[in-house]
Amino acid sequence: MPVVNFMTRLALDETEIASRRAFFEITAEDLARLEALRPLAEAHSVEVIDALYELFLGHPESRAFFPDATTVNRVKKLQRQYFLGLFSGVVDIRYVEDRLRVGAAHERIGLSPKWYIGAYSRYLRLLFDRIFTAVPTAEAQAAYRSAVKLVAFDMALAIDTYIAANIDTVARHQAAIRELSTPVIRVYHRVLLLPLIGTIDSQRAEQIMEMLLLRVSEEQARVVLVDIAGVAVVDTKVADHLLKTTEAVRLLGAETILTGISPQVARTIVQLGVDISAMHTRSRLADGIEFALGLVGRVIAEARTP
Amino acid sequence: MPKVLSRNEQEISTEDDVVVFRRKVRALAQQRGFDPFATAALTTAASELARNVLVHAARGLGVLEEVNDGRRSGLRLELRDEGPGIVDVERALAGGFSTAHSLGLGLSGSRRLVDDFQLESTVGVGTVVTVVKWARF
Amino acid sequence: MTRGSIPILRVGSNLIVSVQRDLHDAIAEAFQEDLLVTIEKDGATGLLIDISALDMVDSYVARVLADTGRMAKLMGTETVIVGMRPEVAATLVRMGYTMAGVRTALNVDEGLIVLARRGRK
Repeated sequence: MPVVNFMTRLALDETEIASRRAFFEITAEDLARLEALRPLAEAHSVEVIDALYELFLGHPESRAFFPDATTVNRVKKLQRQYFLGLFSGVVDIRYVEDRLRVGAAHERIGLSPKWYIGAYSRYLRLLFDRIFTAVPTAEAQAAYRSAVKLVAFDMALAIDTYIAANIDTVARHQAAIRELSTPVIRVYHRVLLLPLIGTIDSQRAEQIMEMLLLRVSEEQARVVLVDIAGVAVVDTKVADHLLKTTEAVRLLGAETILTGISPQVARTIVQLGVDISAMHTRSRLADGIEFALGLVGRVIAEARTP
Repeated sequence: MPKVLSRNEQEISTEDDVVVFRRKVRALAQQRGFDPFATAALTTAASELARNVLVHAARGLGVLEEVNDGRRSGLRLELRDEGPGIVDVERALAGGFSTAHSLGLGLSGSRRLVDDFQLESTVGVGTVVTVVKWARF
Repeated sequence: MTRGSIPILRVGSNLIVSVQRDLHDAIAEAFQEDLLVTIEKDGATGLLIDISALDMVDSYVARVLADTGRMAKLMGTETVIVGMRPEVAATLVRMGYTMAGVRTALNVDEGLIVLARRGRK
């Protein structure tokens, strides 16, 4: 998912970023303190990044995610930018975008949150060592505290990245499930069959109607058979959905035949007072198919015995 | 209260304004990844509501906003006017179609095309209709 | 022949018109007027309205189409609306606007077949 979609999905605008800065208690002083350490950071950046990736590459499970030198070099480059970003003195939209980009890159190669976030732990230790070596204790303590705040802010973003990517995956799976549960079959030229199975709630009914309309249009189908033998419950709502779907199919210029009507369903529909006289209906699918073929000018005839 | 990520407002006082408003809604919906069905639904609702403003109040305001409530993102439309207001809101919303009162179908029909629907109207003061359609997965 | 803003095509005793743009107010009236005048002039018995280019049909446009069909019927002409898009049909039924009484067909060819069948009665 491109960074811009992450920004939208997570609603990361100036207001949200300012709110997060406040919650993580990141002050202008913190940022100034870190900015003052930038020369030090630049001097040590390559060494720090190498040490960080030693962790990933040294652990058998996480090493699998960095299969070749190209991948390693690419993420190291991004990571260096990331590292120096901590000392940039600003936490604005650009800063956040950069963070998300790095997070996205790691998520894309399939690196689990545990590896990515676990690495922050080493990051902090590497920073700790370098800062306390190079700078007087009091100053180092203050700078380290500021760094911890910023790293925490970044960890929150990393977690958000994984969540946003996850939502995306779920969405794609749901779309796939929708397609699979509405299997429209072409039984003959311009004759479609949709066997419905299970419960039809409002949401599913909408999806069914949309799927059916798309297929009718795609195939320029003249007849649609909807078999409800497998539908668990046929009540007023379901009957209403079927009527709506039939009308929509009619607007496209095709006819609907409802089949698989059991005695119980026939009784229920009449007793409920639902008027489905506008629909062609049949008890057996076979009869429906024969009728449908008739509508497209075909007849099922006895084969002549030789 | 969902957060507003972007806002666009325009006057609605001519037929062309309705067309422009509708096209803006369509363009943004498509950009934000709404499928053709959702796009058509929201665009039609926009057209119905904007047309109501034109027919019953002669002029008003059409607002298009991108919103996000933390979990999902969507588009929000607001149509406001200083027209005569709606005397019987219940009846107007109960809808059904009548040739004399195009307002009837416009409101009840639009309501079925969106996820959230809000109507505030005071006789002699004006009307505000706010609708939201969330991006569907 | 072309009159007004929407071209009207003649095929046998049928008229075919393809709606390419928004049918609002002034255009809608001109549309209806042109069609009815042409029906009278040519003695057309069938009218085919192709709306495959419309990505949106609100209650206003739906009414214009249905009314056009009714007006044509009064003049002895059968109307068939063809090419409605899936998302347009879905939106209309969701709104509760059924367009009952309006004949439909998948496309121009199908529409002409429907008109030919009626003509034979």
